Amino acid sequence: MFLASDDAKSIAEKIIARSGADACVVKIDGGEDNSLRFARGGATTNVTTSGASLRISSHIGGRIGSATSDSFDDAALDAARARSEEIARMLPVDPEYVAPLGPQAYDASARYDEDASSFRLDALAAKAALAIEAAAAKGVDAFGCAGSARRFSALATSNGLFAYERSSELDLSTTARNKADAWSGWAGAHEFFAARLDAESIARRACAKAAHDQEPVDLEPGDYTVVLEPVAVTELASWVMSAMDARAADEGRSFYSHPGGGTVISEKLFDEKLTIRVDPADPLAPEGGIGWEGVPHRARAFIDKGVVNAFYRSRSWAQKTDAEAIPFARNFIVEGGDASLDDMIRSVKRGVLVTRIWYENMVERKSLLLTGLTRDGNFLIENGRVTAPARNMRFNQRLGELFGNIAALGKTVRTWRAAGSGGAAAAPPMLAERFHFSSKSSGI
Amino acid sequence: MAPTFAPVRDAPERAAAGDGRFALDRALLGGLADLALDGARRGGATYADIRLGETLQQYAQAKDDRLEHFDERSSRGFGLRVLLGGSWGFYGSRRLDAASVREGVERALENARAMRPIQPRPIELEQLPAYEAEWIMPIGVDPFAVSSREKSDLLLSICATARDNGADFCSASLSIAREERLFANSLGARIHQTRTRVYPSFTATAIDRDAGRMASRESLIPGRGAGWDYITGAGLLAEAARAGTEARAKLAAKPVVAGDYDLVIDPTNLWLTIHETVGHSTELDRVLGWEANFAGTSFIKPAMLDHLRFGSELMTIFADRSQPGALATIGYDDDGAPAGSAEFKIVDKGVLKNFQMALGQAHYIGLSASNGCAYADSPTSFPIQRMPNISLAPNPKKCSLEELVSGIDKGVYVVGAGSWSIDQQRDNFQFGGQLFFEIKNAQLGEMLRDVAYQSRTIPFWNSLDGLGDANTYQLDGTFTCGKAEPVQLAPVSHGSPPARFRKVRVLDTSSGA
Repeated sequence: MFLASDDAKSIAEKIIARSGADACVVKIDGGEDNSLRFARGGATTNVTTSGASLRISSHIGGRIGSATSDSFDDAALDAARARSEEIARMLPVDPEYVAPLGPQAYDASARYDEDASSFRLDALAAKAALAIEAAAAKGVDAFGCAGSARRFSALATSNGLFAYERSSELDLSTTARNKADAWSGWAGAHEFFAARLDAESIARRACAKAAHDQEPVDLEPGDYTVVLEPVAVTELASWVMSAMDARAADEGRSFYSHPGGGTVISEKLFDEKLTIRVDPADPLAPEGGIGWEGVPHRARAFIDKGVVNAFYRSRSWAQKTDAEAIPFARNFIVEGGDASLDDMIRSVKRGVLVTRIWYENMVERKSLLLTGLTRDGNFLIENGRVTAPARNMRFNQRLGELFGNIAALGKTVRTWRAAGSGGAAAAPPMLAERFHFSSKSSGI
Repeated sequence: MAPTFAPVRDAPERAAAGDGRFALDRALLGGLADLALDGARRGGATYADIRLGETLQQYAQAKDDRLEHFDERSSRGFGLRVLLGGSWGFYGSRRLDAASVREGVERALENARAMRPIQPRPIELEQLPAYEAEWIMPIGVDPFAVSSREKSDLLLSICATARDNGADFCSASLSIAREERLFANSLGARIHQTRTRVYPSFTATAIDRDAGRMASRESLIPGRGAGWDYITGAGLLAEAARAGTEARAKLAAKPVVAGDYDLVIDPTNLWLTIHETVGHSTELDRVLGWEANFAGTSFIKPAMLDHLRFGSELMTIFADRSQPGALATIGYDDDGAPAGSAEFKIVDKGVLKNFQMALGQAHYIGLSASNGCAYADSPTSFPIQRMPNISLAPNPKKCSLEELVSGIDKGVYVVGAGSWSIDQQRDNFQFGGQLFFEIKNAQLGEMLRDVAYQSRTIPFWNSLDGLGDANTYQLDGTFTCGKAEPVQLAPVSHGSPPARFRKVRVLDTSSGA
């Protein structure tokens, strides 16, 4: 169910007009998602889902109650509105209450493409077929997922705000495994624009990584020089970004908290090569214009040449601390450098090329100690050349140390996220020293 | 002539009715199911099934002295799955009306046709018996009939209690869900089911500002398939007081010295180890490679059935959909298979005995039928293989926690689930916890901090040499086990007694591990 801006506005206005609350916020989201999966060269599951939901938040006496409905008939919307008001009246007063936003100016964000939005399963199957055919030609098996999404989001308040955005998404990811089921490779991409999705390249890269018959080498745990491919850098950087909550830092619960109190801001915590920024206008990985709580996303560097430059901050915490409200960003860009992936590999005497990582979890929040494993394409580098597949390993790595000692960065490229997640990220390949592998894994 | 449909009852009306019975309009849902299945048959489908209904959810969250959110969501819809020309086609809609169902039939058939170019081997299904049945999860007090004020007061009281007892901060949340489903298929099955679950959760955090350190202690009270009486009887305020005290104590706890230790693992931690190492590794779709691109595969191969020495003789892992209060307890799975088919041993006295299967998988390993392990997290989701309740059977011989500890010279007692991670084939894992206590000379000793244990699945389970009896058995679990693309979240419980494992590698996470 895809609503145009005028239709969404009309529904929101009708609800706001009927509201019996002091103030009211209406959020409408919806669209259609398509995806298919394949394994060993054949289709397994597929799904098309269509729908929309409407969330009404009623503000009454400094209290907020919310109710969401997937039905848009008048009776259902009236019931949801009444329920949100009933909930609000029953709640205790919020000591950090903030009223709904009024009109805002949002930056334009190019995330919608008619071609991408029209992708159904037949078109996705054609993309998947490219991966399956490439795998057959290379003598490996193909497993993967292709997806598309067409989404809209509208936000309206009784204080005069109305905002509307739409997006289209495509993704294709492929895991290729050799016939002995003993080695694998992966590649994937996510785009807002259909013309930018290069399915042949994805298939080629995944199959090339998997097409190794030799027994993978077993590396001993320890500190290694690593070349991290862009999707691995994106994953690791997302943990640095998700920890940038102002309240946690201010309260002493964060990597960005000073011992003794106070928040680390305008201080250099990372290597000067590290810049992580958000920009709705950057076509490489545009953030949407409308942020959480309706606060606009603006172009800004959260980390600028290694210096902590900004935190995301809820409206209530911003009001309490007299600071700027900044929405959490799901989309970000890690700035790159001049080195190529080949340059990086050539510079390594002995190290590991990491394709992607898996099942990360924070072990120790204050030091950003992260654990996880390599997956689907780990290779030993010796004397400047990739010499053998290397069995996967578990890492336990403090991210402050990793991003505090960057040896080199390559060109920033768009990296994979699942279609429908709304997320877009871009990162470069990264060369880093002393990456700590803690133990061996038999997983391929 | 098209059937006419009465409106579905609204969520507040159903909440007011209480008691968790199936309250949606049966005639409406049945009419829509007939419309969909007839349409699929006319369109050439050789099999079709449909799930229709609603998931009603409440989520409330408090932090310190503030109720941050109180949201209620009613999500309705249907999902039609057709088998046409050997290919699946699926369409789900978050609407429950005849026009949407008619569109759903066309789109599901269209999707099946779209798969033909990449369907070299037709999907094969076994024919499951068709049941007409109703199942209602027994609950006491309907949680949706309890006021938002009572719920918010409880959360704020939890936060206040934790802070009064040593925590600097506390966040608390309450998740409640009710699924009402009609399952129908082209073989004649018609199954109405209602399941309700509740999950209270909180985290108490203490800060040592001078040292720049923090410690958190999460609640040890699990989610359950239950009503509000479970919440009021769970001892949440006492648990919050303990958590506040223990979060503060963790700041002053003794750092662990990394090395090999004997572990006694409490059920509040072991459930997650069972889930990750046994639950996921024995899912047949993973073994077949169907999850290779995301959730992962398994170190287990089909030929290992009846041969693999998974663990010691003490290790018996059983599946079920019948434990009272368990999160995957239900009458029929989302393929329409009865709960009885999900009563089986996965590991019997250390030997691998069964995989978990959904419809269309058994023939790949020479078996005749699914064993009732399908779940779709929404009517609009494609049903896939998911875990039933999977539990470690208690020791048939009498054995207490104290007796487990008494067999250890140098060890650690691990309580509560913490940071967890496992490789995609379910071999190498690393788990933290909430509380750790030194075991020295057969006695529980001081609290330790910065502990994680790291091992590999088969050596770990073969090091099991002590197991609590039925008196020590308890259920834990999760609301949100993720799998598949698009990701689906499943509720599942895991029961276990405390268990003893020999010479497991323990890390000191303060040193970077």
